[in-house]
Amino acid sequence: MPGVSVWMIRLSLVYLLMGITIGALLLINKAVLISPELMLWLPVHIELLIFGWIIQFTLGTVYWILPRYLISKDRGSSVLALLMPIFLNIGIWMVLVSNAGEQMNFIALYGRIAELVAVLFFIILHWNRVGALRRAA
Amino acid sequence: MPLITRLFLKSGLIFFICSLIIALLLQIDSVSIPSLFPLFWHTLMLGWITQIIMGVSMWMFPGRIKEESFGNQKWAWLAFIFLNIGLWLRVFAEPLIYLSELRIWKVLLVISAVVQLIAVLCYVIEIWSRVKGKKKRIKKKAGSK
Repeated sequence: MPGVSVWMIRLSLVYLLMGITIGALLLINKAVLISPELMLWLPVHIELLIFGWIIQFTLGTVYWILPRYLISKDRGSSVLALLMPIFLNIGIWMVLVSNAGEQMNFIALYGRIAELVAVLFFIILHWNRVGALRRAA
Repeated sequence: MPLITRLFLKSGLIFFICSLIIALLLQIDSVSIPSLFPLFWHTLMLGWITQIIMGVSMWMFPGRIKEESFGNQKWAWLAFIFLNIGLWLRVFAEPLIYLSELRIWKVLLVISAVVQLIAVLCYVIEIWSRVKGKKKRIKKKAGSK
């Protein structure tokens, strides 16, 4: 498993734990009211689990598991591979921080741009790795 | 494919159907069961997608002990058991805390939350040590010989 995948998958597991902990508190809050303000954590719960867990885990696994290039035997540009998780995680954290207050809302826009850039890097890295052996030959 | 993976996948498929049935109920105006919206999302994202991810990763990730037994796969089994107990408890208890006065549904909902958290913890314990580069795996193998 390449280092990029190891980091992405491990980070996704950390986000999963964070997201499910918040989710458990939100669920308990429905049965026993801990604090009405806990509901403000719902967007954080969603961001952690959708982008942090599911998307990051999937991207990391796909980077590892798709076939490598036949001649060079590598997975494409190592710089893009490094930048992909960096942009994704910066984006996730910017969106998370933007939930801190109304005056922080503008940060979410930059967060989403960073996530978009990460996904673009992912597509550039994998577009040519998605193919049949017959076609590649 | 190991038994635990098959169970994760089949349970995931059942939750997938459940989520679509709940989605269908959400579209019928005469049906007024509370909490259907969060139930739809959680049966879909946790019951279906997360269970598929968990099941497939336990099968495909390196370092799997091929000899199947509860002892060899205890964290995976605990993750499966706790996650499914937690999800089913939620499916029944969440609407009933609004429909019934009985305190038991609130207790069950709290148990559901705790049990799902434990399930995820078990999964992370199972999979964390298997997420590593080839070099480290070879090093570990050589060290254990």
